[in-house]
Amino acid sequence: MNQLNNISPPRWPLKILRLFLKKQYLEEIEGDMEEIFFDNAERLSLKKAKRIYTWEMVKLLRPILIRNLDFVERINQYGMLKNYFKVSFRGLMKNPVNSFINVFGLAVAIGLAVFAYGFARWTYSTDQFHENKHSVYLTTFFANRDGVDQQYGTTPRPLGEMLRQDFSQIKNVCRIEDRNVVMKYEDNVFHQRVRYVDPSFLEMFTFPLKWGTAKSLEDVNSIILSENMSEKYFGDENPIGRTILMIYGKDQSKAFKVTGVAAKFPNSLTINFGFLINFDNFRTTDPDYDFHDWNAFVNATFVQVDSADLLSIKSKMEKYKSLQNKAADDDWAIGSFSFEPLSTLHEHSEYIKDDISRSSKDNYTSIWFMIVIAAFMLVLACSNYINIAIATAAKRLKEIGVRKSIGATRKIVIVQFLTENIVLTFLALLIGLILGYTFFIPGFELLWNFDMDFRLIDVRLWIYLSIILVVTSIASGIYPALYISRFHVVSILKGGVKFGQRNPLMKVFLGFQLIFACVFVTMTVMFSQNTDYMSNRSWGYNQNDALYAKLPDQSSFEKLSAIMTRNPDVLSISGSAQHVGKNNTTAVLHFPDREYEVDQLSVDAKYFETLGMELKEGRTFNDFEGADRQSVVINETLAKTIGEYPVGKVFRIDSIQYEVIGVLKEFHSYGFDQVVRPLIFKVADKEDYRFLSLKARSGTDIEVYKSLQAGWSQLFPEIPFEGGLQQDVWGFYKEELGIYKLVWRVFAFLAVTLALLGLYGLVRLNVEGRTKEFSIRKVLGAGIKHIASTIIGQYAILLAIVIVVGAPLGHLGGAWLIGFANKYHMPITYSSVSSAVVIMVILVLATVSTQISRVLKSNTVSGLKTE
Amino acid sequence: MKKTKLGEFEELVLLTVAVLQQDAYGVEIKRELEERLKEKLSVGSIQSALKRMEEKGFLTSEWGESTQKRGGKRKRIYSATPYAHRVLQEMKEIRAGLWSTIPQPAYVKVNY
Repeated sequence: MNQLNNISPPRWPLKILRLFLKKQYLEEIEGDMEEIFFDNAERLSLKKAKRIYTWEMVKLLRPILIRNLDFVERINQYGMLKNYFKVSFRGLMKNPVNSFINVFGLAVAIGLAVFAYGFARWTYSTDQFHENKHSVYLTTFFANRDGVDQQYGTTPRPLGEMLRQDFSQIKNVCRIEDRNVVMKYEDNVFHQRVRYVDPSFLEMFTFPLKWGTAKSLEDVNSIILSENMSEKYFGDENPIGRTILMIYGKDQSKAFKVTGVAAKFPNSLTINFGFLINFDNFRTTDPDYDFHDWNAFVNATFVQVDSADLLSIKSKMEKYKSLQNKAADDDWAIGSFSFEPLSTLHEHSEYIKDDISRSSKDNYTSIWFMIVIAAFMLVLACSNYINIAIATAAKRLKEIGVRKSIGATRKIVIVQFLTENIVLTFLALLIGLILGYTFFIPGFELLWNFDMDFRLIDVRLWIYLSIILVVTSIASGIYPALYISRFHVVSILKGGVKFGQRNPLMKVFLGFQLIFACVFVTMTVMFSQNTDYMSNRSWGYNQNDALYAKLPDQSSFEKLSAIMTRNPDVLSISGSAQHVGKNNTTAVLHFPDREYEVDQLSVDAKYFETLGMELKEGRTFNDFEGADRQSVVINETLAKTIGEYPVGKVFRIDSIQYEVIGVLKEFHSYGFDQVVRPLIFKVADKEDYRFLSLKARSGTDIEVYKSLQAGWSQLFPEIPFEGGLQQDVWGFYKEELGIYKLVWRVFAFLAVTLALLGLYGLVRLNVEGRTKEFSIRKVLGAGIKHIASTIIGQYAILLAIVIVVGAPLGHLGGAWLIGFANKYHMPITYSSVSSAVVIMVILVLATVSTQISRVLKSNTVSGLKTE
Repeated sequence: MKKTKLGEFEELVLLTVAVLQQDAYGVEIKRELEERLKEKLSVGSIQSALKRMEEKGFLTSEWGESTQKRGGKRKRIYSATPYAHRVLQEMKEIRAGLWSTIPQPAYVKVNY
């Protein structure tokens, strides 16, 4: 017996027992069970006693012993629930306009919510298909180039190889370099970007192959294609074993055997490829490529290592830092090495300079915007529901009175109204899902040209939808349910209750909706203005008349410029090593007091004239051989940071001294979404010319473009032409602006539609409830003027408040968003506010006037007969 | 009259309660019956029989003492109502009547 103190029956069966058993039996049965347990524990083993105890507990769950469970009760109410559903559906059918407003509003909001979910899922799945995403790291380093610590995504060339040799913990190392080449298979000749990678690439990045083997990359003569490239060159056939020619110099080429084709890439990824070849190919294609040069960098070096081992490797990176800093010039000294895991690379990419990955920061920001918008739409739709429910409550008073007098408690009436709401929300949910699936998502995919890979078979989607269903039904239903169920039977049946028409909350909700719509209208007007402004904004030079062509070498420049000079429409020709809007190099400028990292382009003397760049002060380069070797022309941004009187200032790049001779007026190299960086122009050596730029006579750009292409194919029939109109160098940018404009218009349209639907519903109910009053007014001689003022008068103050609150709010929000999304934008003025106010007033008046005309047209006699 | 019907198992439990008198509580009833029937019974079966008979008016019950072994929980002592005694008596007589009218083959040995 002395053991009894430290043994006890298992806990959980007792808990179950206490939950299910009738309260009055608990003490007795618990006691019996315990007594038997201790008897058994003495006679048998403790384990066996416990088992018997548990089993006995289960056997205690008999109908006579367990308490009445709630669900049993609820099943008893089946008949009543059925009645609720029936009444809900009848209600929906009886007021088709109100039902449409409710269901449509909710459906649109839910459709947007579904879309937001799809987009979030797509964004969060970025790169997550890689099996080794937690053990593959990008090698990065920190360096302080102009006063700030900056993370860089490139790596000194020898580092990867040394890491592989020095650390046994590192399973794989993969260096990645990209080169632009021409790929040729029979008649298919295109400029392509090819990825030089170590053979471990496909081990670390687990892209499944459609055909062929990943191991084949160990052979320097092998090439692996993406599915897209395989289709582009070989159509539908299996290209394994075919030979494809890579032309990497003017007369240099190498044949590769296709040994693999990747399966279709997942939809959300940051690192992909068109062509993969072995890294060692640099030994043949670029004999000058020095694998051991600490001063040169590879695009990316990835290592595969267990996260546990990473720490010890990190601590030993000092060695390579000193190796690097000894070999490299002081300007390029680095602070420290670090490793970025592949799984989160796309999130951090925004802050890593020159890294290989694509940043998804904008997508994460967009998710928040979408959630906010979808949530607001939901609130709008719920407000509509609440308003209409309160307003129509009068029509259901009799029903509630009858229900209450035959025994329904207030709780039951509330349950009934909430049930109706769930039915309605469920309907909206279905329509919303269809709307999202067939309209919002495909529309968005079409606009941005990507595949969101949205699937309906997704557990989390359904959990999300269920939460929306519950939250929305309760949010929209609880107030009307409480409100309507409050009234006393006697006063209802006596007919003394008058309500619904004058609930102050209704105006609050309506006001809120209209304010929201007003905010949206104001913002949309601002965005539209800004988009127009941006597409007309000057780039700072004459991009409309300029053209460019990319060249393989200097001799091709001379030949092509000789042909183009003969064209009378060509006003000016210029050669350069880099080209504005296409590429640039970087340099570190040493001034006596501080240093700047700047963009650098090497051009000839006629470049500024050809592109129409304007000089602000000083001069440009002299046009003779050997002139201005140590002079630079800078842009306004750099001039401002240097300080006053920039012309004549001297600085060093490496050990060579340069002098600023001119300052160009501000121009945008890349899109307006990017800050103009400090920039210098140097004189290019003739052998470095890789671009030819042209200035065409105004309006002849298309003809000149054609003759440029013709001249090219005459010179180099083998190599496809690469170049075009200067106004196209920003690529997608202009279309992107158009898309934003469209998207905002859609949002504004939806918000305004929802708010106006709500307003329409309320005005309509208000006018219906006053049929008799209006009929009497009409009989007594009220004209259009009087009736209109009676109806509008109710809403005038509301409209005034809406505009006074909504328009400034929209203006603030719009100004913030425009500043947030664009580095350069239109000057923010109040013109947008006035347009928005006019639009709002017109829309509200138009909505209200539909009802005014209804009153005017209605039959006075039958109006008098009502009630 | 269905409600007042006494099931076979219930009758056994009821008889045990009558036998045990002041000791007629769950565990003791179970032990007594197990001994006599020579088979294991579950607490659930005993308890449901007791509760059902209480509902039908065969049994009454009141709180008894509590012991340390029961974790301080009180026993519930059951006792048969006069009605139950009457019904038991009736049952016995009906059975006896039936038995006595069975034509007795030579090899059946009857105890009474």
